[in-house]
Parts: sequence; structure tokens; C-alpha cells
Amino acid sequence: MSNEAATAAAPETAAAPEPPPHGLGSSLPAADARAKTEGTFPYAADLWAEGLLWAAVLRSPHPYARILSIDTSHAREMPGVRAVITHEDVPGRPVYGRGKADRPVFASEVVRYHGEPIAAVAADHPDTARMAAAAIVVEYEVLEPVTDPEKAFEAEPLHPDGNLIRHIPLRHGDPEAVGEVIAEGLYRIGRQDPAPIGAEAGLAVPRPDGGVELYVGSTDPHTDRDTLAACYGLEPERVKIVVTGVPGATADREDQGFQLPLGLLALRTGCPVKLAATREESFLGHAHRHPTLLRYRHHADAEGRLVKVEAQILLDAGAYADTSSDALAAAVAFACGPYVVPNAFIEGWAVRTNNPPSGHVRGEGAMQVCAAYEAQMDKLAKKLGLDPAELRMRNVMATGDVLPTGQTVTCPAPVAELLQAVREHPLPPLPKDIPQEEWLLPGGPEGAGEPGAVRRGVGYGLGMVHMLGAEGADEVSTATVRVQNGVATVLCAAVETGQGFSTLARQIVQETLGIEEVHVAPVDTDQPPAGAGCRGRHTWVSGGAVERAAKMVRTQLLQPLAHKFGMSTELLQITNGKITSYDGVLSTTVTEAMDGKELWATAQCRPHPTEPLDEAGQGDAFVGLAFCAIRAVVDVDIEMGTVRVVELAVAQDVGRVLNPAQLAARIEAGVTQGVGIALTENLRTPRGLVRHPDLTGYALPTALDVPDIQIVKLVEERDVVAPFGAKAVSAVPVVATPAAIASAVRAATGRPVNRLPIRPQAAVVTNP
Amino acid sequence: MCQSCHVRTVSTYRTAAQVDQRGSGKGQPVLTTHAPQAGQGVTLPTTLDEAVAALTAMPAAVPVAGGTDFMTAVNSGQLRPAALVGLGRISEIRGWQYQDGHALLGAGLTHARMGRPDFAALIPALAAAARAAGPPHIRNAGTLGGNIASAAPTGDALPVLAALEATLIIAGPGGARREIPVSHLLAGVEMLRAGELIGYVRVPLLHAPQVFLKATGRTGPGRAVASVALVLDPARRQVRCAVGAIAPMPLRPLDAEHWVAQLIDWDKGRVIVPEAVNAFGEYVAAACIPDPAPAEDGTVQQLPPAVLHLRRTVAALARRALGRALS
Repeated sequence: MSNEAATAAAPETAAAPEPPPHGLGSSLPAADARAKTEGTFPYAADLWAEGLLWAAVLRSPHPYARILSIDTSHAREMPGVRAVITHEDVPGRPVYGRGKADRPVFASEVVRYHGEPIAAVAADHPDTARMAAAAIVVEYEVLEPVTDPEKAFEAEPLHPDGNLIRHIPLRHGDPEAVGEVIAEGLYRIGRQDPAPIGAEAGLAVPRPDGGVELYVGSTDPHTDRDTLAACYGLEPERVKIVVTGVPGATADREDQGFQLPLGLLALRTGCPVKLAATREESFLGHAHRHPTLLRYRHHADAEGRLVKVEAQILLDAGAYADTSSDALAAAVAFACGPYVVPNAFIEGWAVRTNNPPSGHVRGEGAMQVCAAYEAQMDKLAKKLGLDPAELRMRNVMATGDVLPTGQTVTCPAPVAELLQAVREHPLPPLPKDIPQEEWLLPGGPEGAGEPGAVRRGVGYGLGMVHMLGAEGADEVSTATVRVQNGVATVLCAAVETGQGFSTLARQIVQETLGIEEVHVAPVDTDQPPAGAGCRGRHTWVSGGAVERAAKMVRTQLLQPLAHKFGMSTELLQITNGKITSYDGVLSTTVTEAMDGKELWATAQCRPHPTEPLDEAGQGDAFVGLAFCAIRAVVDVDIEMGTVRVVELAVAQDVGRVLNPAQLAARIEAGVTQGVGIALTENLRTPRGLVRHPDLTGYALPTALDVPDIQIVKLVEERDVVAPFGAKAVSAVPVVATPAAIASAVRAATGRPVNRLPIRPQAAVVTNP
Repeated sequence: MCQSCHVRTVSTYRTAAQVDQRGSGKGQPVLTTHAPQAGQGVTLPTTLDEAVAALTAMPAAVPVAGGTDFMTAVNSGQLRPAALVGLGRISEIRGWQYQDGHALLGAGLTHARMGRPDFAALIPALAAAARAAGPPHIRNAGTLGGNIASAAPTGDALPVLAALEATLIIAGPGGARREIPVSHLLAGVEMLRAGELIGYVRVPLLHAPQVFLKATGRTGPGRAVASVALVLDPARRQVRCAVGAIAPMPLRPLDAEHWVAQLIDWDKGRVIVPEAVNAFGEYVAAACIPDPAPAEDGTVQQLPPAVLHLRRTVAALARRALGRALS
């Protein structure tokens, strides 16, 4: 529809050039888009300072070993080496960690995962630094690693805090309830790496007051600053983080284990120190998506209505807690999906192993359970002889329904409408209906695909995520808006990670103040905190703060005029830099009204508080929820097991569209990440050792792997508690896409497909 | 405290001017992350014999053509070559010529060049392998000779050359030329001697259908999980087939080749019964991935599921390859 309208309107727009995009609801392009496209945008890896030294980190080659001795003397003696640091050189707190401080800055007695930092070197050349790191002699007593999370319960404690990081036994409803139809399943989700396109890099510069400044691509500068200050034994004011360009962040962008040695070496040597991680170090160092083992039992009545869900969810947290507790809460709370389930009994555990670290990767917890509960829905549909989409339709949640955590869904939950939209979207043509030259069979354009062996399948995935931090996390953001000479500047510590916050901030100020030229200041920790750039936080909290600050400036600007003309400020409006009153009596420009003054206003936004889940997994833990429905159409070569996703139709609950182009890009990005989880992305770690930590071995989706993404419907039902009524959009397509693709492969092959990524042998039909 | 960091401004960019200033002003080497030592001894010969002479003169030098494998190792610090001999300017090995029923392919032919239609008309399987050999920027740089020299198990050209029974013309010191079968080099039966370079690859022109099929982990470019090259040789009434990526070198299922060649009616449009095509696939797969020997107590061992799937993949590739060659 909209496409036709656009074509019809085209001749008119050609005659009269469109005004530039302005305010909320327009597709304002990002201010740095051109620089990023042309390659002139400065990322952390491009930084340079006079007299800088290069750092290298020595990482553990073993997943689990006792350190008997560390001999740095050879490394120290190498010409060009300026400093070698180990656990003995950490002046402050020797441990750190996001949820719980359980992770050593440098391993001292034990290494608990392959790639754990042991020492760091600063030298005058990067090769010297790497060679010196390699020259550090560490004597290990290699121990038997615990790599199976199921064995972590009985294994000897890997850490003084024990192997169980968190256990949530959620109990909701009647344990005796039994359905007429029962479906059971065991599901495994692999380890996804966030694989940021720019590997970690940063520059640390010592300050004359004995402090240090770090120029890094942090997404949560204030938390990182506090961690660094505590470990350096400095006051937080003496550590400053300046955020440079962030080259890709679908997870916690910066592994603090990389920032810590960087700053420490700068403090040690008194010189600027630069560290640029290799792709291998990047794979080893940062947090991955939790590999998960899920066991499910669904009960339904004869009409297909869900009666009870029982589940056991086991998250492999790796060696340290990080944000595993949050991931587990999301996994347990959303274990039944966006369906009405009167009785739910979910046991969730996050356990410690010697596998690579797990942490925040968008949609964590929710993505793993989505793959499992949607597989269960397919199984139930098969048992009941119902259409999988029809079965889902009979169970979908709506506003007013209750989550298994006992929380009532108060925000818009248009799940039925979303499912209906993707269900009704016309199916893509079959290969036989399109010219042979346009065929793209499973296996790719030069692949071995044979039309006779290809089967098509259609599957559905309904996903949900929560927005902002859960379980009582204090969410707050502060923003300042300054106006001078007709130019507005926004100061807010919300990091532009690619999610589009800086564009949104410009749009908000344009909308509120009618000023075209808006700049967003670079972020550093001298500004008040805004929280991490994840879970839709900045659209909601920081966007809300910017709007309030802009409104305060508006009042300051209009108050004198309103007073003079004896009307309230609401009767005045600002458009294109002109202030007019509702009756047209008053007409002046913003510049005149400013009268050379400079206007400043600072405001905070803090959403309503939440509460932690209690010992039965009950509590109002989430501020808001976002939903999405995806229909996947796949072609499977049933002899080779190769899968090609033909089309993904997406319908999403977005609250309100603030920037259509940016929104579409975020959905496409999320769906693409989901395609990776479904088909190719799995960091293999036999016996705890990371194999193929490179982008050849770890296959990301390419342009050919990403299907035609059809955004068929964006439901704009405003969430009244959210600023602008907008919801987070990036995470929920990641959650639903893998489930939808697995469901479609199931439909094409009749195989159970209970493991992600889908291995070719799981999509083969041996006796067709 | 170090004396050289009075300036604490962080420039967002390391411009060329800054680097020059630093380099010349203090007489120190310019710092860079990419192996500067390789820049010291780069020779760029324009003929094959010059290249051989350069290699002979400096035995520690490493010849580099496309550099798609080699330079990643250099940039990650795994290799530190003392000197390089660049082969990119030797125009005589960047094309091909004809020689009594054979094509003499220059080792410097890029995958991109081999993928073009004129080459595909000549040696269709090699063109298909070249088109499947990675993303465009790799195909633009990577060469046929490099694919042979690096001899990676997943090298896409290798099973095709094995099926074609190609021979290599090796250029040695003093203008010497010797010929070795490509399989001898890949199997390590004969090695390149000091100062020798792969000059040309001699490939028979068979004027019959040829197929190269490859199974990868994704729809986009990727390394082969298994690949099959199959060529028909109507003059000798032979079918030749090689399976790549599943072993350190391409495997030739000779029994399966002979067996299936007998079943083809070569005179009447090269037809075969469909059952034989299926059986050929199974035969090739079983020859390349044999059942494990029974244990000492006589119990039959099962292949692991992943290996069984690989065998199934090879069977499907071989069956499809033969089907397409005879269709």
C-alpha cells in the first residue's frame, strides 16, 4: 500500500522538492552516516598520541589450570619493553564483574577459561609487545575442565563462590493441572559470539593528577569508569572514559578485562598506551550468548489451549557470573512466551563452567527460550492436527493477561494482531514460478542445490523481550539541552552504539524547540550517567530526559513572550525557527526571542520502579515488554541438509515509529543476527578450547544468507508509560527469528530440529 | 616518566603528515601495526626466469602471488619473511595458451579471470571452482598457482586439477623446466626444490561436460565442507572424479570411475540408467569415507553421525555431478 502511494506521489515531489526531514516520525539520516560510509569516521583503533606505547595481553592457553609460577624476567629484559604487569601490580580491588565482582583483573592462582588475561605488556612497538607477552613464562598445572553445564552441579567448585550462580524455581498456578495432550522436548542452543565488526581497541592517556583517561568504544562508560577506578585504587573522578566511535555493539561492547590492563599500563609507564585486539583476542575475551539446555513439557486441552508448562532451563555462564543472573531472570520469566499459560513451573539455573564467558548479548535469555517454546508449539500442533499458526492464535497473550511471574501485562500486547499480519501476508513464489536464472537454491549461486531435492517450509516464531533493566535495577538518565544563536546542543552520556540515539535526540529537540540545527555532544564520564546502551534504554530513558530538558528550554524561551501577550506558553508554537501564537497576533523568530541569551536546562528521566523476583519467581520485575511475530519461509535441500531462508515476514509491536528508516534498519539488523543463530553461528569449544576464533571458522551471515526481509506491519499502539509511547525494537527480532526459521525447517523436513544452529544432518530426510 | 609524551592531545587521526614528522624528526622508525620488515626486500620481477633468479639469489625470500593466505599470516605476526618476491608483474603467467590438445594455464591466473565465460567454455569445472572460491575480493587476488602451492585441503581448484590429471610445469634455475603431475606435488611424492616456482598448469582440453559441486556451511561464500569435481573424457571413454576438502588432498575413487565408465553408452548420447547414477554416488562416498574396520572381537563399528552425514553429502554431490555431466 505505502509503496503504491509513494509511486503515485512521485511526480509531485519531483516538482516541489520535499522539505528536509524534521522532528519525530521523519527519516532523519544519522549525522555521521557519511563519514562512516566513507571510512573517515574515527574509531578507537584510529587514535594516536605522541609517544604512545603498545600493549599486549598474555592470555591463558588452558581452559582450567592452576598457575604455579609466573616469570616475567625475560619479557622485562627485552629491548623496547616498558612495563610488564601481573596480578601483583593491581593497586586496588583485584576483582571486578558486572553483577558480582568475582572475576580477577589478572589471574593469580587459577585460570578458569581459555583466554583469561594473566599479564600485560607495554612496549614501543606492537610486535615487541606481543613477543614480550609470549616470552612470559607461566608454569601451569593443567586441571580437568568442567565443560558440560550439567556436570557443574556435582563438580568441585571452580570458584570460591561455588558453581551455582543463580537458581530460580518459578511456581505459578496449580501443580496438579494436567492437559489432554502433552508434548515434550529437549533443546540445545549454541554459543553465539556478538562478533562486533570492529575488534576492541582503545587508548589510555595518563593525567597530570595521577589519574588516567581512556578513549574506548564503551557502551556503558560510567559502569566501566567505576570498575576501573576501584581496581586502580583511584577516586572515580580521577578516571575518565571518553567514548570514541563504537564499531558495532550488539552486546556489552567492551570487555572490561581489556580496558583494565590498558589504563593500568598507562598509569605504570606514564605514557599513552594503545591496545588494538586481534580478531582472535576479541573472540576469546568478550562475553558470548549463553549456551542453553532446555527441557520442556507442555500440557494442552483438546482445543489446543495451554494448560500447563513445565520447564528446566540451564544456562552455561562460563567461568564468571557477569550478567548471567539477568539472563536467567528473562529466560525463566519468558519461558512460556507470549501465550496465556495458567499454570507454569519453571526451574532455571545459571552455572559456572570452564567454557568461554557468557554475558549480555541482545535478547539474552528470551532468545533461547523462544526457540524452545515455539518448537513445543509446533509439536502440540502436530499432535492435535492443528495448523501451527492456528494453535498459536488460540493461545496468544493480550494486555491484561498475567505472566508466569505474576506480573500483569499492562503495556500494549497486540500479539494476535501481529500474528494475523504475518499469517495473511502473501507467500513468496515457488522456484517453479520464477525464471530459472533467478533461482537461488540452498547451497548458494555456485552451490550444489538441485531443484528435485528442495522442499519448502513455512514456520512461525512469536517473541517477547523486556525493556530496560529488570528486577529493581535503578534506571535513570540525565540530559542537558543548550540553545545559543539558534543552535541547540544535547549533552547526554547515552552512547551512540549504532542504535540511533544521537539521531533520535536531534529529532526530539527539533520537534520540541523547532530548531533545525541540533548537535549531540560527544560522551564522556564528566557528564552524569545515562546507563548502558542496551535493552532499548536510551530510546526510553535518555530520550525521555532529552525531551524533558528540551521542554524546559522551551518554557524558558516562551515564558517572557507569553507573559507579555498575556497567554500561556501552550498557545505559542515554534516552527522553522519562527514563534507564532495560535491567533497569529504574535510572530517573531527564535533568534529574536533569545535576545542573545543562552538557555540551558537539565532533566532526568526515571521510569517506575520494579521489584526482584522472589523465591518462587514471582514479582513485577519488568518495566515494559515488546513483542514481534515472524513468519519464515525456507528452502531445504533434504539430501544435503542445506537451508536457505527465502523470506522473513516481520510484524512488530513498536509503540510509535520515531524514525521509519532507522526502525527498518534496526529490524533488519536484528533479523540478520537471528539468521546467524539459526543457521551458522556457533563458537565451537571442544574441551573448553575455543576453535577457529576467526571469521572464516565462525560463519556470520553474508548478504546471500540474509533473505528478503518484509516488514509487513508495525503496530503503533502507544505505551503510555514510555516517553513518546515508543518501544525498543532491536532485540525482539533477534529473539523470534531463530525460532521461526527452525519452525519452517521442521515444516519442510518433518524432522524435530531441536538444536540451534541447525546442523545439516538435522535437516536431512533419509527416507523421503 | 617517559620524556616523549608532553603532548597529551589525542588527535583523532594518524595522518600521513604526523607519521612523517615523527619518522623524520626523531630519526626513529615509523610505528605501524603491519609488519614493516616485509617492505625491506621486495623484488618485483617481470619474467619467470627473473623470479627464479631472485629466489635463487635469496633463498630466504618467499614468493607471493595473490597473497590471500600468505598476507593474513604475515599481518597476524605468524610469518616474518626475510624478503618477498612478488609474482604479480610476470605477464607471461597471467594468461593461457594452447599446446597440442592441452591448455597451458599460467600459474598467475586469478580466480576472477578463470571464472569468466571464455575460460568456462574451455575448462568448465575449473571455471565453476574459481567462481565458488570465495568472495569477489579474494577471487580478484587469489591465483591458480597459489591455490596449488598453499595446498589447503579446502582449495577449490585442487579436486578439479586432480580429476583433469593436470601436470605442473615447474620453472627452475637456469631456465630449467620440468613437469610433474599435480597429484605428486599435493601428495608430497615430489616437492618443489629451492628456487623453483610453479610456472604453468597443463590441462587437457576434453571437449565434454565437466562439473564442480561444492557443499558449504552457508549460502554466501564459504570454505568447502566437501566438493566433487567430475569430468568426462569421451576420447578415452573415461569418467574421472575427485573429492575435495574431506582429506588433506583430493581423493580419486578409481574403482568407482572405472565401474561407472563401463555403464555409460558412450556412442548413443552418453546415457546411463538412473540407478547407476545413484549407485555411483554411494560407491564414491564409501570409497572416500570407508566403514571403520571391525573391532578385534568382530563387532561392527559405526561411523559417528557427523561423518555419516559427510558421507551422505559426498554421495549426493557425486550423484548430482554425474547426473549433470550426463544430462
